[in-house]
Parts: sequence; structure tokens; C-alpha cells
Amino acid sequence: MRREGFGVARVGGGGLGCVGVGDGGRARQQRWLQQYELVGKIGEGTYGLVFLARTKQHRKSSIAIKKFKQSKEGDGVSPTAIREIMLLREISHENVVKLVNVHINHADMSLYLAFDYAEHDLYEIIRHHREKLNLSINPYTVKSLLWQLLNGLNYLHSNWIIHRDLKPSNILVMGEGEEHGVVKIADFGLARIYQAPLKTLYENGVVVTIWYRAPELLLGAKHYTTAVDMWAVGCIFAELLTLKPLFQGVEVKATPNPFQLDQLDKIFKVLGHPTTEKWPTLVHLPHWANDQQHIQGHKYENTGLHTFVHLAPKSPAFDLLSKMLEYDPRKRITAAQALEHEYFRMDPLPGRNALVPSQPGEKIVNYPGRPVDTTTDFEGTTSIQPPQPPSGNAPPGSVSAQSVAASRAVARQMPAMVGGQRIPAASMAAFNAAAQPGMVGLNPANIPMPRGAAAQQQLRRKDPGVMQNPGYPQQKRRF
Amino acid sequence: MLEQYGVTRLEVDVDGSLSYPEPVLDQKDNAERHSSAKPLNCEEEHLMRVFYEQKIQEVCAAFKFPHKIQATAILYFKRFYLQWSVMEHHPKHIMLTCVYTSCKVEENHVSAEELGKGIQQDHQMILNNEMIVLQSLGFDLIVYAPYRSVKGFIEDIEEFCQARNGEQEKFKDLRETALLEVDKMMLTDAPLLYTPGQLALAGLRRSNAVHRVLDFEGYLHNLFSRQRTAYSVSQLGELMGTIDSLVEQLKIPTAKDMRHIDRKLKSCWDPSAQDENKKREKRSKHKSKRAASEMQGPVPEV
Repeated sequence: MRREGFGVARVGGGGLGCVGVGDGGRARQQRWLQQYELVGKIGEGTYGLVFLARTKQHRKSSIAIKKFKQSKEGDGVSPTAIREIMLLREISHENVVKLVNVHINHADMSLYLAFDYAEHDLYEIIRHHREKLNLSINPYTVKSLLWQLLNGLNYLHSNWIIHRDLKPSNILVMGEGEEHGVVKIADFGLARIYQAPLKTLYENGVVVTIWYRAPELLLGAKHYTTAVDMWAVGCIFAELLTLKPLFQGVEVKATPNPFQLDQLDKIFKVLGHPTTEKWPTLVHLPHWANDQQHIQGHKYENTGLHTFVHLAPKSPAFDLLSKMLEYDPRKRITAAQALEHEYFRMDPLPGRNALVPSQPGEKIVNYPGRPVDTTTDFEGTTSIQPPQPPSGNAPPGSVSAQSVAASRAVARQMPAMVGGQRIPAASMAAFNAAAQPGMVGLNPANIPMPRGAAAQQQLRRKDPGVMQNPGYPQQKRRF
Repeated sequence: MLEQYGVTRLEVDVDGSLSYPEPVLDQKDNAERHSSAKPLNCEEEHLMRVFYEQKIQEVCAAFKFPHKIQATAILYFKRFYLQWSVMEHHPKHIMLTCVYTSCKVEENHVSAEELGKGIQQDHQMILNNEMIVLQSLGFDLIVYAPYRSVKGFIEDIEEFCQARNGEQEKFKDLRETALLEVDKMMLTDAPLLYTPGQLALAGLRRSNAVHRVLDFEGYLHNLFSRQRTAYSVSQLGELMGTIDSLVEQLKIPTAKDMRHIDRKLKSCWDPSAQDENKKREKRSKHKSKRAASEMQGPVPEV
């Protein structure tokens, strides 16, 4: 681990820091890094890297450190970083990720955001059930996760913040500890205060996964409302129930801001064709009005959402889901209304620890901890000789389909923070086909990080998230 | 001590003890230069800040940025100099970085290069100071400016006056003058002391004193009868009085004032240059025009 040559100052004052408060915001050399013990890299995106570290204080706590690169060459601090920090500095809620500190590396003008570390996220939880357990998620857990997600979202919306990029990998869940099983909404890189002028995603030059994108946005609406977040929550709710994404459209990759016909088609197939009777403002949406690719003509019988999610059409759960997936954003249920829904008033009642049901006798699922790549240091340099490399150590960047499959359980793109770039790896199709019967064509939105895969696999066993769980039976986990 | 370190070098720790952080010059140098280099006094620092705050308004106007950008930039600038002295970071540089950062935060991104080009300044300077500005602001970047409040109150006032068509003109005047009054307030300490809504009302009251559109006192009573507030109409009146006096006390320094202060500042940084300056000053006593333009700092040329 290279730690030298790191001219770093920490941000003092403003109540930001838990350590070293009182240095008056002035630059001190090499101060902040020494507060942490770097464990390894846990994610990567277009913005930079995410690391896991532990504080060296009396109570060792785990911290996720998100490193932002400089944006463009010669244009200072990345606007994404600024946006995320400025919002996180204002908000404080149990179901929103907590920014603990901001550190500056003056040497290369990069920013490091320190967050309370969350061991799990919905992407991993869903995947664990789908691929390892082959078992649906406990109804108590689904309801608790959903309630807490809505609770955090209601807080954001009441404070005029739209998240705009809700997806399973951005919904974190705390691991063992005081906050075990508590949901934390993360990744505010695309979030906005909605009194501010909202530019379209394309203008921001950001790519977001389309699976959770609301129909009004797909049809070219220029303005964002809180309803776009509620649509995403609906998609996530369905995914928690069925363990697979509800609307898996194939993304059109082109600029500028291409029309996503397949995504709309997937939605229409499940929910039926939208009509101007049910959605009066539909006619004003540009892509609908222009009848892009004859979208008005794609007629589907309403096959019924309930058959997709295996819910009784009269059940409260289905009622809530269909209100979240309401076409007309003005009629779509709000977070505040959803929290009051009957679904949350009936057994099992939602709880604070979503992962551990309150009723005794319920089976407790032991979710695996987040994979950590301990071969990468704070500057993102992967060491060439990882400790005891097992055989078949693939060089970074060139991973065969086989090792991708192997590493999928081990390392993947950081879920917690920012939907970073998706890699349209051809090899993924083969993997998906093999590992997930009936799910061919799954867009690899969170595909593994092809780097040092084999080495991580070994280190994985040392993962503390697994070890510190003596109370629960170890799940059958294959390595 | 004050003389040695300047007025804002004192640091108060959490426990109330005072400390003097690293001196600008090392001790040996300091002893030598102490006699010749006189730091700026409070008044001079203040004038210098006001001068550059007004420059921020000029630059933003030249770029035709929305009012909000200017307000945010000025607040960044003010808050930056709550922590630093103009003797540590030259306001000419910090001012540009504040405008640049404000543009980023307010979703009106302008590249540093573009900004630098527009006002004929080195854009690298803007970028070099970005981190220190962000850090000094504690990354608290969201700023609420009074301009939006003015617009909101105008709508409310129109309703209060039951404005008819054809009366729009006088409300427009009321608003425009109020916005100008708020611009002036931005150059005082008022935005650090009062909320955007209070500043907006103070601006509207000042504007109404000119245009006499409505019974302002009556409007305030009406307003308070509709909303639960933490204070009374008379307390608001008092507070607006304070804002008024801050605006009336506002003195925008002339280029001549600045010449003197800037010279003093230069000698703080480099006392050996002082004698040089004096000689040159004698030589160019009658060429003061040229010197004045040099001192004015960045002049928007767009």
C-alpha cells in the first residue's frame, strides 16, 4: 500500500469531521489519511473509485471513501462531486446515507467523501436470493425495505430534492451493528433541488440505467418531478418480489439522448398501452406527439401486472404497486401517501431491522458481505503482486468469460455510489444465459469489475462482514 | 500581535483559548520587516472587500448571468473572508473563483477558461483557488438569495392590492427598484445577518418609499395576520431599520481609495518593493490615470 507522497488536508470546521476538529480548515500535510486503515477497493465508476477503510479510533468503524477524480481536464472539481456534497451537507435522515467527512488531496485536486459504510445493498440482496438461495425474499423484509426506502424518499421530497437515479444498487442496507438492517438511500450525484432549473440527463452528460426510468421521461418530458422517483420505487418493489427487474429494456446507446423504444415497449407489454383518457398530458410529450417509431401503434392487451409479480389483484401489496406504476405522473402515488397505505398497516408490520424478522422461528438469511479488492491502494493503483495470487490470475482488464462468472460473486462495480459506466461486455451474455435461465438478455447493468478477480476471490474469505456473524448459521456459500 | 498578523489571523479554539496560526512570514524575516511593512487595518480590509464584491456584480452583469449567481458568489466571497484576511488571499483572485464556483453550484456551468477569457484573467488562478474556497465554505454551498423572495412578495402584494389590469406597470417599478435595493444590500453585512425574506421585505419597503405603491405597514400587518411568525411586525420593522442603516452606511470605495490600500497590501507581501513604489509614485504623480486603471483590477470586457 503506497501511502507516501500524499499531500492531503482534511476539511475542518463546519461540524463535518469527527476527527481532528479544530485545525481551522487549514491545510495540514498527510493528516487525514492516517486516521484510516485502508482495507481495499469496493467499487468503481465514471466518477472515480470507492474504498473501504476503518477508523483507527477507539471504536473502529467502517467507512466507505468515495474518491472523485477531477472532472474534465482543466475544469476543476467535478460538478457531480459538488452536487453530491452540497446536498449531502444539508440532509440528515436515518434512511439517507450519512456523509461523515470530506477530504481534499491538494496534490491532484481530488476529493474524498467519507460515508458510514453499509455492508449490503438491494442489488446484492436480490441477487443472493436469485442465484444462491433460489428463494424469494421474506415478506417482512420486502415490506421493511420498501417502507424505509419510502421514508427516506419522503424526507428528500419534502426537502425539495429529487434523487433521479434510484435503483437497487443505490439502496444500501446496513450490516451488523447498531443500525443492522436499516436502509440508506445513496448516491446523490444526479440529485437536484427542484426549484433549480433542471437540465435533461443528456445535457448533464450522464448515463443512467433505463430500467427504472419513468415513462414520461422515456417519452421526452423535459421536467423532472418527484413522481420519477416513485416510478423507480415501484420497479424496485416488483424486483424485490420477483427477484428480477420488471422492465428490462435493451438500451439504445447513441447520442444525443436516444429514444428508448424497447424500454417503453417492455412497459407497455406489462401495463398495457397508455391512453389519453387515463393520461391526458400524454399528447404533450414530444416522443408521443411525434409518434416516434410509430409508438402510438404498438398495441398491447393489458395482460395484467399481477401475473408478472404473482400477487392477487385485490391484495394491498398489488394495490400499492399499481399506484406506484401509474402512467400519469400527476396521479402516481407520492411517498407520503404510500407510507400511509394499507399494505404497511397489516401483518407483517415493517420493522427497523429489515434483515431480521421480529417473529421467532423465521429463517434468517445471512447475506454475504461486500467484496473487497485489497490489491488496490487509495490512488487506484493495483499492485502487480497481490498476496499469494492463486493460479490463473488474470491480468487486469482482460478477463475471460469464465473468470467473469467467477468474479461476479466477488467483485463488481460499486453499487453504493453512482451508477457508473456500464460495460457492454459480450462475454456477459454468455454468463447471463448460463447462470440465469430465462433471463437471457439481462442488461448487465452492474457487471463485475474485471480486475484482479482471482486474487479477490481468495481474500474474500477474510471478509469481516461474513466473519462477524457468529450468531447466524453460515449459508451454503460456494467459493 | 494584531499588527503583526493582521486582523483576522486570530483563531479561537473550541475551549475558548486563542492561538495564532502559522505566521505569514517566518520569524526572522518578520523581525526585519516589521518596521517597514504595515498591515491593512480593519477599515482598509473592509473597503477592499466591498470593492471586490461590487466587482463580482460587474462581472456577473457583463456575463449576463442570472441575479442568483451574483448573490451566491458574493456570499461565498463574504464567508471566505470571515476565515481569511485579504492579506493572505488576494480578493481579486478569490472573487473570480467565487463566481466560478457559484456558476457550478447554480447549474449554470461556465468553464474556467471561458470565464477567465471574458475578463482577461488567467483561468489557472481561478482553478488554483477552487479547493481552498470550497474548503473555507465547509462545503456548505447552497445559498438562498433574496431575489426569489422579492418576486414572491410582489405577487402577494398584487393580490393584497387587488391589482387590476393596467396597474401592472407600477408593480413592475416597485419590483425593479426593490431588486436594485437588494443588489446594494448584497454589498453590506446584511445577507450574513438576515434571512432572504427579511432582506426582500426591506428592499420592497425602500422601493415603496420611492414609488408609493401601497400602504406598506398595512401590508405587513396583513401578512403577519396570515402567517405564524416568530416575531412581531414591530420587531420586523426594527430589523428592516437596521438593514436600511447598513445600506445607507455603504460606501463603495473609489479607485483612488483602492490605490492607497493596494499599495499598502503590496508592501505587506513584499516590503522591499515599497521603496520602489514610492520612487515610482513620485515619478508618475501626474500620470495617475494610468495607475488608476492598473489598480482597478479586472474590468469586464465582454
